[in-house]
Amino acid sequence: MKSYFENMPPFGKALKKGTIKRTQNNYEQVLGAEKQILAAVDEVKNAGLPEEKINQRGQMTVWQRLEYIVDPGTWTPLHTLFNPADNVEGTTNVIDGLGKIAAKWAVVIGFDNKVMAGAWLAGQSENILRATDLAKRLNIPLVWLVNCSGAKLTEQEKFYANRRGSGTPFFRHAELEQDGIPVLAAIYGTNPAGGGYQSISPTVLFAHEKCNMAVGGAGIVSGMAPQGGFTVDMAEDLVQKAKEHRAKPPGSVATHYDHTGFFRFVYKEEKQVLDGVREYMKKLPAYDPEFFRVSEPKAPAFEAEDVMRLLPIASKTVYDFDDILARLVDGSEHMEYRPDYGPEIYTGLCRVDGFLVACIGNRQGYLGKGYPEYADYPGMGAKLYRQGLLKMSEFVTFCGRDRIPVIWFQDTSGIDVGDIAEKAELLGLGQSLIYSIQQSGLPMMLAILRKGTAAAHYVMGGPQANRNNAFTLGTCATEICVMHGETAAVATYARRLVKEKDAGRDLEPVVEKMNALARKYKDTSTPLYCAKQGMVDEVVRLADLRHYMQSFAGAAYQNPKSICPQHQMILPRIIRDHAAAKEKE
Amino acid sequence: MSEDVLAPLSGKIVSLSVEPGAAIEEDDEILVIEAMKMETPIFAPCSGTVSKIVVKEGDAVEEDDLLAVID
Repeated sequence: MKSYFENMPPFGKALKKGTIKRTQNNYEQVLGAEKQILAAVDEVKNAGLPEEKINQRGQMTVWQRLEYIVDPGTWTPLHTLFNPADNVEGTTNVIDGLGKIAAKWAVVIGFDNKVMAGAWLAGQSENILRATDLAKRLNIPLVWLVNCSGAKLTEQEKFYANRRGSGTPFFRHAELEQDGIPVLAAIYGTNPAGGGYQSISPTVLFAHEKCNMAVGGAGIVSGMAPQGGFTVDMAEDLVQKAKEHRAKPPGSVATHYDHTGFFRFVYKEEKQVLDGVREYMKKLPAYDPEFFRVSEPKAPAFEAEDVMRLLPIASKTVYDFDDILARLVDGSEHMEYRPDYGPEIYTGLCRVDGFLVACIGNRQGYLGKGYPEYADYPGMGAKLYRQGLLKMSEFVTFCGRDRIPVIWFQDTSGIDVGDIAEKAELLGLGQSLIYSIQQSGLPMMLAILRKGTAAAHYVMGGPQANRNNAFTLGTCATEICVMHGETAAVATYARRLVKEKDAGRDLEPVVEKMNALARKYKDTSTPLYCAKQGMVDEVVRLADLRHYMQSFAGAAYQNPKSICPQHQMILPRIIRDHAAAKEKE
Repeated sequence: MSEDVLAPLSGKIVSLSVEPGAAIEEDDEILVIEAMKMETPIFAPCSGTVSKIVVKEGDAVEEDDLLAVID
């Protein structure tokens, strides 16, 4: 298949002098917006105690542990700004992402021991479940850096119980193990109660000599018999008991290495624990990347930073999607699927680090005379029409057959609406695409370049595709909402305006409400809001998009559950034959 | 030699970025057309001098209408 993959047709245009000049303002706006996002990330990194204080105690912080264990240049953070319950701590208190350990991809997650010694907080279990789901979808190991003091007891009602509460990750660990996905845990510090199960539920436990894990900690043991309230005498008694337990916390290495043997390995130094995990990673199954590569990895022919000029931060300005994609894929080369059909959508095969990936994205701007073919109105990119929906369904189906991971790029205002569009079957075709995605069983990633709106946000590989979507990225230009805020205000208040007018009343109060609703939409669809609520798994710099694509492709091809021999793929042949037929015409 | 700049789509002129007589480079923005809630910038197809702009802000244009001429 060399002739198909080694030299694909080039695409994309180099920036002209005029382009650089007229996009300077956009470039600066992107830079400014990305600075704000980086500042928010820094706040999370600096949450809790300062690094020096943790180091003075002879401990490393979670960030230092991550930096030590993950291979340089491979850390791909996710959920950094996720904080759906708006915790005062500014974090869900776990840090996670994709990273290579000993040259193998893993989902890595650790408790932030700077914040309440790694306590359970609201929103944390949802964050953990995103990490376990990611390991499952990509079929790669989950590596834990456990250091969990248990629940923040004063807020337990927010996270302890419930279907996706703090106990659910323990079942997910069991599920991963039953799927053949190992969960390795480096264990530090005091891990009572919830922390105990965080420690015991993984597959192999690597312990620091000063760590402990237990069903309950000193606090629980000393206060275990409720007596209808507290008195000063009881408090004195508690002081005594707590002192005793502090001196000898339950579940130390003496118990769980020497006696129960739950800890498989014990290490004197913090770094040695991580070295132990790294050594173990070498023993885990993974294909050599060469097994799946279709060509040598190649950098794009154009600079990644160009995307900061090519993606207009102003949401109404049209742009050339192909030019952006050309900055993200190997050699700026591709094989486009059905370029003469469904012009609002790009579908094509590209390579990332030599791995074959399928890319799908919204094109922008006027789509030409006579399109959409079923209507008498003009078509504009970002919207989905009949041909685009059909093309995506076909393409995804072929990708499923050829086992090619899919990378989606959304900048969509929705699916065409109205009775003409209904007659063109768009409602059914949207759901058909969902069906195609679900049945493909493929891992997918999504980057929401700008707008993710209406049902189009779902059907184009959105995070709602739980079984497929590994992670969803936002950018500094991302805006996710069911519709534009002003459209929503009209939909909500149009009839009310008519009533007020008919009654001869002042329209101003309704207009104020309309403006308030439009403002609310704006405030609740910003990149930072989307990241906080988990609508995206991370907001990334435009220049880092390719890094995430590399991590996704590498992880997706590390240990796939099913494979298609390269020489038995049909999609590359369909594309080439179609292009040859067109050339003859 | 002169080159006509034509409207690639129907819509409304929402802004002019250059004036007649201005020296421009290839790919400079000449004007912006709004249609279907989206703004489509129109770029200079070549470097030169803007000899004529035949539309003004707020004008409605049809596809293939003449917008400007570059010498």
